[in-house]
Amino acid sequence: MEGAMFYVFGALAVLCTLFTITAKNPVYSALWMIGSFAATAAVFVLLDAFLIATVEVLVYAGAIMVLFLFVIMLINLRAEEQQGLRLSPLAILAALVFLTLLGKAVNDLGPAVRSRPNDLVGTPAALAESMFTRYVVPFEAVSMLLLAAILGTVVLSRRKSQA
Amino acid sequence: MIPLEHYLILSGILFTLGLAGVMMRRNVILVLMSVEIMLNAANVALVAFNKHLKVVTPDGVVAPDGQVFVFFTIAVAAAEAAVALVIAMALFRRLDTVNVDDVANLRW
Repeated sequence: MEGAMFYVFGALAVLCTLFTITAKNPVYSALWMIGSFAATAAVFVLLDAFLIATVEVLVYAGAIMVLFLFVIMLINLRAEEQQGLRLSPLAILAALVFLTLLGKAVNDLGPAVRSRPNDLVGTPAALAESMFTRYVVPFEAVSMLLLAAILGTVVLSRRKSQA
Repeated sequence: MIPLEHYLILSGILFTLGLAGVMMRRNVILVLMSVEIMLNAANVALVAFNKHLKVVTPDGVVAPDGQVFVFFTIAVAAAEAAVALVIAMALFRRLDTVNVDDVANLRW
């Protein structure tokens, strides 16, 4: 059962991502991408990462994609300026070479990947304990990063006349 | 039980699609979305490794380190998306274009 679910949601994620990068209209791209993130969240559930799956839907599919849609609507491209994937043989070759190298790396992983999977390693309680003990300094650093991002957004979006 | 390789292959395919998007789309917003796809693909690999590799803390418990990293990646991705989209807006206001080929002044 779990096996079938993984292949269904994995294929769904790949398909949605493919449509994201090929869609002509940026709004369609954004909507496909929400589907891609939802499918990825389902894959996270299959990996017992329940909290990460929730955050994926809330932050990625919710907040970040709304931000993207908002900017797409604000920019509001005229139809003749929209263009889809501009196929370039060199880029396709580079992507295929990259995929081959990744496949080789996965193939060479060795005995580590044969290990039995851990039982329920990422419960929210364990995650919170790890984040607020061993990783408390990076956690605070991320809060500073978000503050810097807020300030940067405000400064960059000011109009020239006010500066 | 799905072997770890299959999750990593899924992650690799998603990452490659993001890479192809960055190289072949010319709309700056689509380029940014492709970067988000690549970050998300890395998250899949991190969560899969978290499930399959044992990282034991000094106290002897199995640590969910991979998932903590994914948390940080998502936070960084959110910050990056906000700043980058504002830059795209400023670009559009100034030059009236979102095509990355029109903004190649810094290219040698």
